[in-house]
Amino acid sequence: MFYDRVENQTDSSLMKLVQAGDTSPLALLFERHHVALFRYLLHLTRNPALSEDLVQEVFFRVLKYAKSYDPDLSFPIWLYGMARNAYFDSIRKKRGEIGGDAFGEIKSPEPMPEELISRKEDVMLLQRALLKLPDDKREVLVLSRFHNLRYEDIARILQCEIGTVKVRVYRALKELRENFHELRGEKLYES
Amino acid sequence: MNPEDYRLLIPQYLSGQLGPAETELFEAQLTASPELWMEVEELRSLWEGLGQMPQKQPSAALRFRFYQRLNAIDAKNRRAVRNKASWWQLGPLPQLAFGLALFVLGTYVGRVSLNSGVRPEEMAQMRSQVQSLREMVALSLLDRQSATSRLEGVSWGSRVERPDRELMSALVTALNHDPNVNVRLSSLDALEKFTNEASVRKALLDSIPLQDSPLVQIALIDVLVHIRDGAAAVELRRLSQDAEVNASVRQRAQWGLERLGL
Repeated sequence: MFYDRVENQTDSSLMKLVQAGDTSPLALLFERHHVALFRYLLHLTRNPALSEDLVQEVFFRVLKYAKSYDPDLSFPIWLYGMARNAYFDSIRKKRGEIGGDAFGEIKSPEPMPEELISRKEDVMLLQRALLKLPDDKREVLVLSRFHNLRYEDIARILQCEIGTVKVRVYRALKELRENFHELRGEKLYES
Repeated sequence: MNPEDYRLLIPQYLSGQLGPAETELFEAQLTASPELWMEVEELRSLWEGLGQMPQKQPSAALRFRFYQRLNAIDAKNRRAVRNKASWWQLGPLPQLAFGLALFVLGTYVGRVSLNSGVRPEEMAQMRSQVQSLREMVALSLLDRQSATSRLEGVSWGSRVERPDRELMSALVTALNHDPNVNVRLSSLDALEKFTNEASVRKALLDSIPLQDSPLVQIALIDVLVHIRDGAAAVELRRLSQDAEVNASVRQRAQWGLERLGL
């Protein structure tokens, strides 16, 4: 069946075909990764429409820079690295257009649609606490928790040392805890 | 390790990313240090809470825009290939120049291929994989709810040189049962390329009574006449004589019979 056959193709083997000049495998790579990539970018941008634009941009960068892909490396890591660059490019472009803070208008943690309908108050508070984290901390936490990436992979995406990732994830989790208790109106006992 | 080092390991412990030796060491420290144990428990509930957060889905528009742009790129590439081919229609001098250029290019590509270790059999295998991938994309899109996606699916299907039975069957199903007339017409266009196969000719013939749209019925008649399928006579005669059939279809069926000399 269709899905069995798709499963047999690794990302790297699909990328070899893209490198040879065929665009068809890009569709399969898109089907496999676009949802996760969208969620990663949504955590960075906090703007669904912008995240969708960036997802599209990233996949066409894959086509454009296919030759630079090393099939021995993990495709998702390469893809996330490319998504990060596309995100920062969009910030630079936006700054050039309006000056100052590129995403000031969307940085305030607006309630997500899910929040409006969720009855699980704690989950809602946690979501808001996550949105309150600084960008760099939120990003490592998202990569670690939602994308289940290992520290060495995160370090490759962020182009930093594994030790830096280790410290940043821990501090992000601690700050998340502080934000969460603050939103709940509780004072946090600091050990 | 000092207490701070153990704390830095908490997220990896919670996500199960510590190795067996590290986990053992960490758990030994957990039993020895109530402070560490408390912090792990508190962060654990937070870690698990993160896992319960709803995950947003991208809109259907993202997929649509992606395939639209991908198709545009693909069409541009195909146009470029066609433009190159038109060199052959020029006079002998440009043909000679083009031949020389091809020779130089071929030599260069050959050297690059030799250096990069790509063998002809690997290239053949890659081409076959490309065909197979196009089939997969077509099948995936034909299965979607949106008519636009199914149209994209038909378009991908028509690019497969030799479709397998699964894709052929999906195209015939789209022709016979797709609720959208444009999808049915596009499927017919795609299937027309394969009318050298008896099974496809029979499928087109069998499709006529299933169609309720005069547009599709007329398009089917045109294809059957174009490929000069004598087996269409019975169906064309029925259509031309059935008072309940749309008048334009009846006329076209009559025209078809005359064109086929029946």
